[in-house]
Order: sequence, then structure tokens, then C-alpha cells
Amino acid sequence: MESPSLVEKIVTKPYKYGFVTEIETEKISKGINEDIVRLISSKKDEPDFLLHFRLKAYRKWLTLKEPNWADLRYPNIDYQDIIYYAAPKTDKKKQSLDEVDPKLLETFDKLGIPLNEQKRLSNVAVDAVFDSVSIATTYKEKLAEHGVIFCSISEAVKEYPELVERYLGTVVPIGDNFFAALNSAVFSDGSFVFIPKGVNCPMELSSYFRINSGDTGQFERTLIVAEEGASVSYLEGCTAPMFDTNTLHAAVVELIALDDSSIKYSTVQNWYSGNEEGIGGIYNFVTKRGQCRGKRSKISWSQVETGSAITWKYPSCILQGDESIGEFYSVALTNNLQKADTGTKMIHLGKNTRSTIVSKGISAGQSSNSYRGLVQIGSKAIGSRNYSQCDSMLIGDQAAANTYPYIRSQQAKASIEHEASTCRISEDQLFYLQSRGIGCEQAISMMVSGFCRDVFNQLPMEFAAEADKLLALKLEGTVG
Amino acid sequence: MSFEYKNWINALPEPNGVLAKIQIEGRSLIQNLGIPSREIENWRLTDLKKLESLLTLPISKEQVQQRTPSSAELADQNDAGVRLTLSPNRNPLQLITLPYGIRELSKDEIKEIMKFKMSKIKSKVDWTKLLNHATANQIVGLNIKGTNVPSLELIMPANASEFSSTRIIINVEKGSKLELLEVVIGAKKSAQNHLIEINLEESAELKHGLIGLGVSEASLLAHLSVTQKPNSTYSLSSVQHGWSLGRCEQHIKQVEGQAQSIIRGLQISKGNEQLATHSLVSFDGPEGSLDQLQKSAAADQSHCIFNGAIKVPQKAQKTNAAQLSRNLLISENARIDTKPELEIIADDVRCTHGATVSQLQEDEIFYLQSRGITTDQATALLLKGYCQEILKGLPANAGRWGILKKLLEIVKR
Amino acid sequence: MIRPEAQTLLEISDLHAHVEDQPILKGLNLKVKAGEIHAVMGRNGSGKSTLSKVIAGHPAYTVCKGQVLFQGENLLEMEPEIRARIGIFLGFQYPIEIPGVSNLEFLRVATNARREQIGKEELDTFDFEDLVNERLKVVQMDPSFLERSVNEGFSGGEKKRNEILQMALLEPTIAILDETDSGLDIDALRIVAKGVNQLANEDNATLLITHYQRLLNEITPDYVHVMAGGKIVRTGGSELAIELERSGYEWIDSDKNNQEVK
Repeated sequence: MESPSLVEKIVTKPYKYGFVTEIETEKISKGINEDIVRLISSKKDEPDFLLHFRLKAYRKWLTLKEPNWADLRYPNIDYQDIIYYAAPKTDKKKQSLDEVDPKLLETFDKLGIPLNEQKRLSNVAVDAVFDSVSIATTYKEKLAEHGVIFCSISEAVKEYPELVERYLGTVVPIGDNFFAALNSAVFSDGSFVFIPKGVNCPMELSSYFRINSGDTGQFERTLIVAEEGASVSYLEGCTAPMFDTNTLHAAVVELIALDDSSIKYSTVQNWYSGNEEGIGGIYNFVTKRGQCRGKRSKISWSQVETGSAITWKYPSCILQGDESIGEFYSVALTNNLQKADTGTKMIHLGKNTRSTIVSKGISAGQSSNSYRGLVQIGSKAIGSRNYSQCDSMLIGDQAAANTYPYIRSQQAKASIEHEASTCRISEDQLFYLQSRGIGCEQAISMMVSGFCRDVFNQLPMEFAAEADKLLALKLEGTVG
Repeated sequence: MSFEYKNWINALPEPNGVLAKIQIEGRSLIQNLGIPSREIENWRLTDLKKLESLLTLPISKEQVQQRTPSSAELADQNDAGVRLTLSPNRNPLQLITLPYGIRELSKDEIKEIMKFKMSKIKSKVDWTKLLNHATANQIVGLNIKGTNVPSLELIMPANASEFSSTRIIINVEKGSKLELLEVVIGAKKSAQNHLIEINLEESAELKHGLIGLGVSEASLLAHLSVTQKPNSTYSLSSVQHGWSLGRCEQHIKQVEGQAQSIIRGLQISKGNEQLATHSLVSFDGPEGSLDQLQKSAAADQSHCIFNGAIKVPQKAQKTNAAQLSRNLLISENARIDTKPELEIIADDVRCTHGATVSQLQEDEIFYLQSRGITTDQATALLLKGYCQEILKGLPANAGRWGILKKLLEIVKR
Repeated sequence: MIRPEAQTLLEISDLHAHVEDQPILKGLNLKVKAGEIHAVMGRNGSGKSTLSKVIAGHPAYTVCKGQVLFQGENLLEMEPEIRARIGIFLGFQYPIEIPGVSNLEFLRVATNARREQIGKEELDTFDFEDLVNERLKVVQMDPSFLERSVNEGFSGGEKKRNEILQMALLEPTIAILDETDSGLDIDALRIVAKGVNQLANEDNATLLITHYQRLLNEITPDYVHVMAGGKIVRTGGSELAIELERSGYEWIDSDKNNQEVK
């Protein structure tokens, strides 16, 4: 038995969420121009401020260049060959779940996210987004009793325009980067969360994003605001069917934490990653940023990234309020020809701010997995501290693990500590577990999940087990 | 690219000497590529204004003034070592009889080594090297053979308000050993560009000290390129301070792996200096090892940069590489940038890296204070320890340059 | 205890094995019956550890000739985890550290894999904890070891005790203990030996691989085998170990006609 090749064999598995839902879809014509931007806005019946926001972003986007510094090579994207709006054809307004097309409910059932009252998760409110639109949000009323707003961003634009106008684009400015500008111009739907002063959100909030159309870009927008003393835990999940073309996903997520508030944002990303030859898969180019505006506020990012052909994302924290806290916990698993360039930025501006970074990268197949992070201590961030730990695990000798931690300090009374290591699963470790009756697949999955434990511990309880399973699934294969 | 810069290139003396062909190619390429810009990752943090101003200085046409070494520097010169003073327009080997074990490389040998090192320049990333190609018109080539070769000291002085460049090639033969100390000495408003190429044959050993002693408004752009054959040991200790713009690039390649590289670096900046060390260690074969420790300390409004890349491709199985970057911010307005870069494709490797940025540990100072030592004394003691960890790796004859004293003066406020 | 009517558990005949083209085992024969305790002794490099690795199925060793039967079945065709599940246990000379994998979880998964094989029901977390706490007493280990990663940061003695704990949980049919006594102080050695004695019964068998007599003072073997040059060159009772302790292995070099014992 040749163990290394066995290890390599094990890391291949079929994608479970690759089915397509047959449903009539309303799509606008391909391409992007000012008229398309206006059309999207009018389809969504938006107020003027948002149309202006979009147009400004579009004009800015025209002046920007696609970033290439991350060394992620991919064929040129033809932005005129993408459909920027697709929605399942249904009656305009859905008052209750009964009015939602059963095919859609069935789709989410199949994805393990039941929406109807009997089967839905008891402690998690879900916003289900299908292509460009949100089709349902559960537990809205129950949350409203606590003053918590959880709805699609389109609905928020209509129901709470003043809140959206106050916060949208304040953390990720429209011209922040190429993909953020594009998103600001054409974003279709996404989730909006508002936790008022002093409220601990009584349940987990979750958005589930499903790309169904192959030629449609997905541009969701999420905005979460926690007022003074509020707290919330939010989780997003993502899947897409298997297409042999690449689909662009360029989301923007903005988090705003005021004094003494806390936001925990967890992601389980399992977009279709393409096949073994690297055909198809999602280009996941996402801008996620949180701003700890208030004193003693806290933003915590946890992510489990297993899907997408290419991932380019750096969930970041701007630690503006004194004594605010930023955290980033990440597991990124790449296989076959997947490429991931992910990490975080911790920008320390306020006094006594603290940040923690724990990143675990696992590269298998011929994939490439990079951690890229920035820890910056500004000249006023006296007494600030950062601790970073970046570990890589390599499975097989064709995979690449890269680490680029940028560190910049302009404050003598601050401390930054960074540690990184690289390991692999050794043949002897594998044999030891096997000699105790543990099968090869399970042994690998135990070691990978042990490697990731520090991060899984940070996920909401309901999803930690799911993430573990997801990794096991990714590593599952054809051992005879 | 600014207008003056083009003029500066055009005003360079006619290409001549052994490097004429390289000069012509280098000048044409540098004209085409222009000066580094912020888009080039390893030049992103460089003070480009300082870089541009350096290209307005006239190139040294005359002999570089022999700097009179201080009595302290000469005091120890009884250790039977060889001291050469380099000058951009004169071959120092013409004036000296080399001792047994050291001989001048022939033109053909130099060509052979240059070919082996394949210093092809494609982009502005290698601009320091390119600048040297365009400007250097002398090459000093030395071959080392034997295990009992006298230590070698190369002094690279500068003329005030002038630009000068030198190029050195050293080949250490199979199984041979050398201690090499290079001392770059700045002059007021001078700019220096040095290209040092070293090849270690199988089982060769080189203990290399590289000291850059800057003075106010002087600049240094140095590129060190080392190739190592299997079982060779290369140990570098580099120290730089005092440069308005100091940039030391260290590229080490283990051509077939199985070699040992030890890198120690120390840079201490003050005033509005910017000091940078850019290292790149690549393992082109299995079982290589690297032990790297880089220290930077920044005082006043100065800026220290460290960029440490390690590349471990698939053929470099069983590589063992460790890198540590320790940084101290000594004043409120200083700035530190440090960036390790690890690129690994082999799975059976041990690679670790770490980085810290902090001030001197309060508890350490307190511990010393509690034993009756004043804060200032405690600080000095700790800084001394901080520096000495690097300085102790320098060749023995480095002692006479009194580096520690100079470094401690910088950090003593 | 030697009983002529006992079932044969392990039968090795004419075993040849090599690692990286280096032949190590050169025609080894050995038969182990239920209830027996065997000791395999010999110098460094005689092939003792290779024998244990080959029985457990380490991928680095290739068997080029001969066979190994376990309860009549061909062991050599089985994956290492299958061998473990049907009752082969190898106590490693150098148990490897596995960072991140919790010792408790590891023990539970391994125990349940074995239980499933022998038709016992799977133990849930709580029942397993009861079982493991009971078995911890065999090796006098502190429960805090369960919270740590497998062997990570364990001292030499702790690693060996963890091995015996695994043995106590898996209840193997044949346990092969490779230099379990090396690196142990006398107290730890007694604890380990006590554990082994406690676990031995008439249905299972133990194969001790050791250098020294001192473990055999604690565990009395029924047979002592001496290995040299990749095979067993002499077999005797427990008195052979004492003789070896006294006279060393020099006689092997002079004894050109190494007698082979079936």
C-alpha cells in the first residue's frame, strides 16, 4: 500500500449540492450599462437615494481596474456576458410561506435548510436567497417582538429606508475596490439585520445563498448593524449547481458595531468548486468588512471555506473604538485546482484595541491556498495587541501553501505577535491510527478536524458539527 | 519616469572595460523599464523620492578618496588577513600580491560563474541589480581554495556627493573555507550601489559579515546573490545603520538543496532614515536547511522594513526552514513593516516563521530595576543583548569596527 | 500457560520481508497459541521490530515470501485497520504524537471500531467514559490525559502507559509489545507489567519484544525466542532469558549452524 497516493485519492468527492432547480426565471438581458443599473433599481422599486448610490458606484467602477496582485490567474471575465438580475417568476409580494413556489421550498429542503413551520430549525431564523432575490425569511415576527429587524435588504430599503441610507456604504465605500464597486452598482438582494440598543438577539440568524442560474452573476449585499450594547450571531451558507462555466459571485458585507455591542459573523462557504480538471466553479470575489465604531465593541469573523474555483476574500475589522476587539478564525480547504487567497485585515486605530487571527489552510490535489493578512497598528492605537497564528497542512506534494502576513506598526506601546507553521499528515501518524482499527479516511478526517479545532470551536454550536461534516465530506473518497 | 533620471543615465560615462557590454544592455533596459514604482510589491514601501534624488548625483569618475582608517580600525590588522579597498574605476588587485589560497578569477571564469548564476533581469523587481549592470565598470573576481585561507576584508568607501558602484564575484572552491568581511562606508550625500555575487561549491564554507556604516544623507543599494552547492554552509551576518536610504537585498539559492544557510540581520534606524532588508531564500533541491533571524529597531521618525521570502518548490522535500523577525519600536513616531512570505509546494517539509513587533519588555526592565539597575542602564543592557545576538555571528576581524558602540549610541536617547 | 489443545492464534511460516530493498526478515517461523506469552529477544538490528511492524501491516515493509495466518486467515492481505479490528494489537516502541486529535475521541473511535467487529454494541460518549475511567486504573493514569492530544507532550512513560490503556480498551486477541520496557523507570515498568499480566487470559496471547531480562522478571514468558539475522535461531523456556542475561549474545556469532525451531 502506498500511503501518499492513498491520501491523495481520499481527498476527492462528489459535490452533493450540484443539482439545478427547474423553475421559470425572469432574467434581464446580458451586460452592464447605466440603463441596466436603472432597470435593476426600478425592478426593485427603489427610492432615489439608492439609484444614485448605484449610478455613482457604476461610474466609479468604470474607472477601476480588476485587481491582479493576489496572483490568482483566471481567464478574463467578460462583464458584458453576465446577467445581472435573475429571479424566480412569482407573484410580486409573498405574505407567507404558503405563497412561495413549492419547488423553491423543496430546493431548500434538499439543501438541508427546511423553511416551512413544521421542519424549520427551532433556534435559527433563516433568510433564503435564491439567485438574485430573497424568497423567505423565517421567524420575522418573533424577532420583531424584540425589536430585531431581519429581512431581505430589498425589503429593508422599502420598510426602513432611513436606516439603510444611514449605514449602507459607510464601511465599504462604493469605490473601495473593483468588485465592491460592481456590487454597489448592481447588487440584487441580501440580508439586513438591525439589533436595537441593549438587545441580545434571541436566536441565531442565518442567510442561505443559492445560485441556480448558470449565466447570472450573484451580487448580494449584507448589512448588519448592532446598536449600543446589542449582540447578534449570524451565519451564512452558500451552494450552487454544477455548471461547466464559471459564475461570478461578488458580494459585499458590511458590519457596524456601536459601543459595547458584538457581532459574530460565521460563513460556511461551499459554492461549487469546479471538477477535477478545474472546469466550472464559482469565482468568489467578496469584500467583507466590519467596523468597530463604538468603544468596547467586538466583531468576530469565523469562516469555513471549502468551495469555489477561486476565493478572494479578506474579512476585515476596523478597530476604531477604544478597547474594541476584532477576531478572525478561518479554515480554508482547497482541492483539485481550486485557488484560495484569503485572510484578514486588522486595522487598529483606537486605544487598547485587540485582535486575534487564527487561520488554518489545508491544501490538497494541485490546489493553491494562500493566507494573506495585514495587521496594522496606527500611531494612536496605544496599548493595542495582536496575536496571529497561521498554520498550513499539505496533503500530497502537488499542492501549494503560501503565507503572506503583512505587519505594520507605528505605535511603540503596542505588541504584535505572529506565528506560522506548516505540517502534513505523516505516514506514521496514519499507520498509528490504522493500527488501532481506524480506517484511513476517518484517520485523515480526524487529523484534519483536529488541525481545525481552534476554529470550529468558534462556530455557533448548530454549525460546528456541520462544518466538521462538510470537511469530512470534502475529504471523503474512494478507498476500497 | 522623471526627465532628470533619463538625463542622468545619458550622462553616464561611455561604457568601457570588461563590463562594457553589460553596461550597454543595462542602460537600455533601465531606460525602458524606468524607476521602481509602488505597484512593484518589493518596492512598495521604498521611499521613492529618496531613490530618485540619488539618481541626480554625478557618478564617481575619479579615484574614490582613500578614507584614512581610524587607528582603532587599524589596530588589529596583525591577524594576517587581507584587506582590499574597492574603487569604481580601479582594480585593487593590481596593487597587491594575494596570499596563497586567494587568486584573481580569469575573465573566462567570471563569465562561467555569471552564466551559472543566470542573472537575467526581466523586470523592475531586480532594479538594484539592474542599476549595477548599468553603472559598474569594474569587476573584482576572487577564487578561494583551501581550508586555511587568510581572512578577507573588503572595504567599499564612497566620495561625498557622488554616486559609485562596484561589482564583486567570489568563488569558494569545493571543500574550501573563508571568512569574509565587507564594510561599506558612506560619505556625506554619497550614493553606493554594490552587487556581490558568491558561489559556494560542494562542501564549501563561508562566514560572511556585511556591514553598512552610513552617514547622514548617504544611500546604499546593495544586492547580494549567493548560490550554494550541496553540503556547503553559508553563514551571513549583516548589520546596517546610518543610511538615509539603505536597502540590502539578500538572495540565496540552494541550487540542489542539501546545503545549510544561516542568516542573521540587524538594522537600526534613526532620524528619518529608511532601512530595508529584502531576503529571498530558494531551495531548488531536497534536504536544505535555513535558520534566519532578522532584527530591526526603529527610533525617532525612522522606518525599518523587512521582507523575507522563502520558496520551497516540489523538488525541495525535507526542507527545514525557520525564520524569525523580531522588531522593536523605540520611539512613538517610528514605523516598522515586516512581511514574511512563505511559498511551499512540497509536503514533507518543516517550515516555521514568526514575527513580533513590540517595545522593550516592561517586565524585563522591571526585573533589572528590581536588582538595583536604573531604567537607562536596564534599557542599554537589554538593547546590547538584542544586538549582540546578531553581532556575535560576524567574522572575528569585525571587532575593530566598534559596531556595537555605534549602534548603542543610536538607541540611547 | 501452555496447553497443547489450545487454539493456534498466529502462525508465521518462512517469512521474508524487506524495507527499501534491504532484506530484514529471512525465513522466520513462529507459532503462538491461545493463553501463551512469548518473548522475542535479540540484538539491535536482528529484525525484532520489523517482525512486529509486518504483523501490524506497516506500509514501509514489503513481504516477499512466506505467510502469516491469524486464526487461520491470511493476515498479509488485510489493511492495518482490519488487522486491528480482528484483534491484532501493536504496542509501539515510539508511539507517535498526533497534534489536534483528542486522546479521548481517538480511544472511543478505536474502541467502537473493534467492538463493531466482534459484534458488541457501540458505546456512546457517556458509556465510553465510564469504561475508559475503569480501564485507566489498570495503568494508573490520570484522567487529564484523556483531554490532551494523542501522545502530544507525553513523557516516555506516559506514552507507554497510553499504549497499555489502548490495549486494555481494545482487548486484543494477540498483543505485540515492541520494546514496551525501553525508557521506563522501575515504577512505570511495574505498572505496565501489571497491566499486561492483568489483561492476559487463556483466550488471548502476548508477544513481548524486548532487549532485556528486566521486563521478564515481571512477566513470565512461556517461550523465549532468540532472533538473529532475520530469523529465530533458538527457542527455549523462561530460563533462556536468564541465560542470555548472563552470557549475552556472543554465542550466536560462534554458532554457525543456527538451529531453527519450529
